[in-house]
Formats: sequence, C-alpha cells, structure tokens
Amino acid sequence: MTAVLDTPVVPVKATARQVRRRIGRAVLLAVMIAVAGVMLYPFIVMIVTSFKTESQYLLGRGTSLKSWEDLNQTLPIGQELLNSTIICSAAIFIVLVVGGAAGFAFAKLQFRGSNVVFLTVVSAMMVPLQAILMPEYVNMAKLGFTTSYFGAVIVYAALGTPFSIFLFTTYFRRIPDELIEAGIVDGLGYSGVLTRLILPIALPAIATVTVLQFIQIWDDLLVGLLFLQNPSQRPITVGLAALASGRVTSIPELLAGSLVSALPAMLVYLGFQRFLIQGLTMGIDR
Amino acid sequence: MAVSALELRRSPARAGSRWGRSSSLLVRRRRRMGLLLTLPALALITLLIVIPIGQAAYYSFTEWNGVTTTWIGVSAWTQAFHNPTMWRVMENNALLLLAVPVALAIPLGIAVLLHQHVAGWKVFRSIYFLPTAISWVVIGLVAEHFFAYSGTLNSILDFLGFHKAHTNLLGYQSTALIALGITFIFSMIGTNTMLFLTGMATLDPSQEEAARIDGAGAWKVFRHITLPHLTRFIQLAFVITVISAFSALFSLIFVMTGGGPGYSTTTMEFFVYQTGFSQAQFGTAALYGLILFFIMAVVGIFQLRLLGAKD
Repeated sequence: MTAVLDTPVVPVKATARQVRRRIGRAVLLAVMIAVAGVMLYPFIVMIVTSFKTESQYLLGRGTSLKSWEDLNQTLPIGQELLNSTIICSAAIFIVLVVGGAAGFAFAKLQFRGSNVVFLTVVSAMMVPLQAILMPEYVNMAKLGFTTSYFGAVIVYAALGTPFSIFLFTTYFRRIPDELIEAGIVDGLGYSGVLTRLILPIALPAIATVTVLQFIQIWDDLLVGLLFLQNPSQRPITVGLAALASGRVTSIPELLAGSLVSALPAMLVYLGFQRFLIQGLTMGIDR
Repeated sequence: MAVSALELRRSPARAGSRWGRSSSLLVRRRRRMGLLLTLPALALITLLIVIPIGQAAYYSFTEWNGVTTTWIGVSAWTQAFHNPTMWRVMENNALLLLAVPVALAIPLGIAVLLHQHVAGWKVFRSIYFLPTAISWVVIGLVAEHFFAYSGTLNSILDFLGFHKAHTNLLGYQSTALIALGITFIFSMIGTNTMLFLTGMATLDPSQEEAARIDGAGAWKVFRHITLPHLTRFIQLAFVITVISAFSALFSLIFVMTGGGPGYSTTTMEFFVYQTGFSQAQFGTAALYGLILFFIMAVVGIFQLRLLGAKD
C-alpha cells in the first residue's frame, strides 16, 4: 500500500528539484554575466570613447576616427612603446640572471651564513620604493643615471630581484642534489651545470618571473616618472599619466592611448596566465 | 688544516679515505661558487635598497634639499609627529584599510561562482582576471571617467530614476577617498579571485560531496569545509591587499586626484612624493618614507611567517 502511494511522489519531488536546480543555474549565470560586465567596464569605456571626438564624447553620441588619427601628435606612442619595451627587457634580463644565479646558490650551493643572507634578501622584498624614494632619487641623479635608461633599469632590477630570488630558490630546492653532483663529477663544471642542466629545468620558473616582472614594470608609474628625466625616454605609462595631469587633453585621445598601452600586458597575460597564477601562490600551494 | 679536520669529524665514515678528502675539496669549491653566484644580487640589493634605508635614517634627522644637509636631530621627528597634516594622511591610510575586507569578500564570492564550473567558466575566469594585466594608471583614468559629474555613475543613477542623487565623489573632501577606495577594491578583485580560486582547486571534491550527502546545505559546506581549507590563501590575500593599500596606490592617486581635494586622498606613500618633489623638503620626505618602512616591516613579519610556515 505504502509502496503504491510513494511511487508517484518520488518523480514529482525529483522534477521539483530539477526545476530548482535549473533556476539556480540560470541565476548563477546571470550573476556571472553581470560580474563580467563590471570587470570589462574599463575596456568597454576605452574602446567606445576612443571612437568619439571630444565634443561627441561630451554630447554622448556619434562616432569618429579622429582621436585615433590625432593620437600620435598628442602622445609619441611609437617611441613610448619602444621605451617601455627597452626598459622592460633590460630590467627583466638582469632580474633573471642575477636572481636565478643567487636562487640556485641559496638552494643548492649553501655556504656559511647563506640562510641568514637569504632571509635578509627576502626581507628586502617588503621594502616599497616610496620608503627609500628620496635617497634613491638623489643617488641616481648625482651619478647622472636619470638622464639615460640606466637609472630606471637598475632600480626596477633591484626591486624585482628579491622576489625573483625567493621564487628561484623555492623552485631549485626541488631539484635533487645528485643531478648537480653527477654533472660536476662528469666534468661539466659549475658553468656547464648551470647552462646545460639547470637552465632547461628552470624554464617554467623563468617564465613565471618574466611574466610577473613584465606586467609590474610595464604598468609602473613611479620609477619612470622620477628616474627618467628625459621626456623622449618616457615609457608609455608615464606618458599617459603626464598627459592626464595636463588637464587640457582630449579624453577620447587619452583613452585611445590607454587602450594601446594596455594591449601588450593583456596579450602577455592571456598567453601566460598559468605562470602568473604560479608566481602569485608560490610557496603556499605546494 | 682546521677546516679539513672539521670536515673529517663531520663525516667519520669517509675519514681518511681518498674520497673523503676530495669531497671536502668539492664542498669548499661548492661553497665558494655559492658565494660567487650570490654576489651580483647582494651588490644590487645592498646598493639600491639597504644603503638607501641607512641614508634615509640619517637624512630623517636633517634638513635636506638634495644638495646641502643641516643636522637638526631628534626635533625633526618630534616636529613630524606634531604635524597635523601627517596625521590626516595616516588617517586616510587607516580609512583605506576599511576597504580590505570588501576587497577580500567580493573576490571570495566571485571565486565561489567560478568554482561551480558552469559551462564556459574558463572564459569568465579570463574576463575576471583581465583587469589585473592593465596598469593602475589606466584603471585610474577610467575610474575618473566613471565618478565624474558627467560620468557613468551619474548616468546609471539617471537611468534608475534617481535624478536628484547626482554625485561628484571626486570633487569633495568628504567623499573623494570613497571613490579612491572603490577603485582600489576593483583593482584588487582579479588578484584575490585568482588566489582563492587556486585555493579551491586544491580542495578535495569528495570532501564537499561527503558533507552534501550528510545533508549539509550549500552554506554549511562553504562555512565548514571550503572556508577552513582556504585559511592560508585568505591570509596571503589579506597581506597582499594590505601591502597594496600602503604602497601601490600611487598611480591611482596621481591620476585620479593628485592627493586632493586638500589632503583628502593623500596617503603616506603619496605624501612622501609630495613632500619631496612638490615642497622640496627632502629630509622630511625621507622621514615619512621611513615611517612607511616601519609600517611595512610589521606587515612583512606577518608575511614571512606565513610563507615560512611550511618550511
């Protein structure tokens, strides 16, 4: 008797649950689309506004290519993109070589006191440039480094190296000692071990440091603003900020420039997302 | 001689054998190489980070315009601490810390949404992380457009029918910091969501499943399984967000407000820049920098313990 009564009830309950789940999924999707809208807002604003003239922007309707045509006169965009690229590449190169070598030493070639030195280096990670801004600026200016790329490059390199050492050390600790010993015994020498054994293994760590540093340096304002006194050597981010603080600039042109400046970092990010995530959670997820 | 004796004592099994002696030679060579490989990094960090900290400490006791320095001693510090503007600036920093819980809660919610793995969630993930790639200078420029009197925020209010609720957050001392805080929260969403989602990916799904079978609702599963699992990730996100609040807002402030109106959006890091480069008081600026350094050191100790907890 009970069985007969129960049978029709079960499927009804199931469909009710199914309906509820379907509604749940729909709500979830709606919320996710709404969040996507918020996160895409900066890009939408940049794209839409860049295709207006100043008056169309104020009026709120109409489209034009004028801002894009005039962009290069307002902002020497080619030169500034080139400056950003030069500074980024040089600084990242130093960070990789110097940080990679030190990371390998801290992980595999420990010397007396190396742990203390390692801790000191990692603590340097916590020093923001603003805390040492004045002496750093005066030192660089006195040495004449602010009239070339050199000053900005070594400041970026010094700021990026502690994190790079931390990341490389954590990474190299997982390589077995036997591998290095075998290389030495086989007569490779330390330079051979580094270039032929360690370098190929280290590629993922190198990629992580490169991506993180690229986004950091490309997007930075403070160093470029102070340590590059020559306007023709300005990176794109500084060019934009300087233009924005001028207050006479056409906003559509400014946002067109912003879009151009954002593209390289976005492409790097979309291509190497994986390495970015690895770098962020280094030392915690393993 | 003394060194090799020490080596012998350390490896009694190898003592006396030819292998033992050559290994101690190898050990010494290894140590020398280790020291050599760290030297460039040490030089770079010493010259550009450690020495400037020492210089900042010295210059904080002086009146300094970049060329000449006059020693004024401890009174430089007492003067700074009696400067009401500095306290105003510190207050801004403290108020911005109120944004930190929001900058953690929203990404936590978003990570939960993504973790449901609905069809196409990876596309959503990429979209949510995308602002992480762009400069805070660009975000600041767009935010200025959003909060401006003729900007998007007021258009939204118009659309919703609140014609009289027109805002001009950046225009007033009382509200500019709110606009800055909201922009800061937006800027942190990508990074923190990324952290939380990575944390959730390391969660064993069978645990959540088991709890659900035991009759736990979605909230209970989140509260008692997911959240405890994320503790370390939340701590890390907290530290990163606090560090950013103290030392990464320069770009946003420079572009959005220039520290104003008045000092209403000047934080300690921007104050260092202003004091040094607008007022040419290098010594005082060095002192403010040092205060910022001490604040960061406290946060840093917390972070080191967090990162070192597993070693």
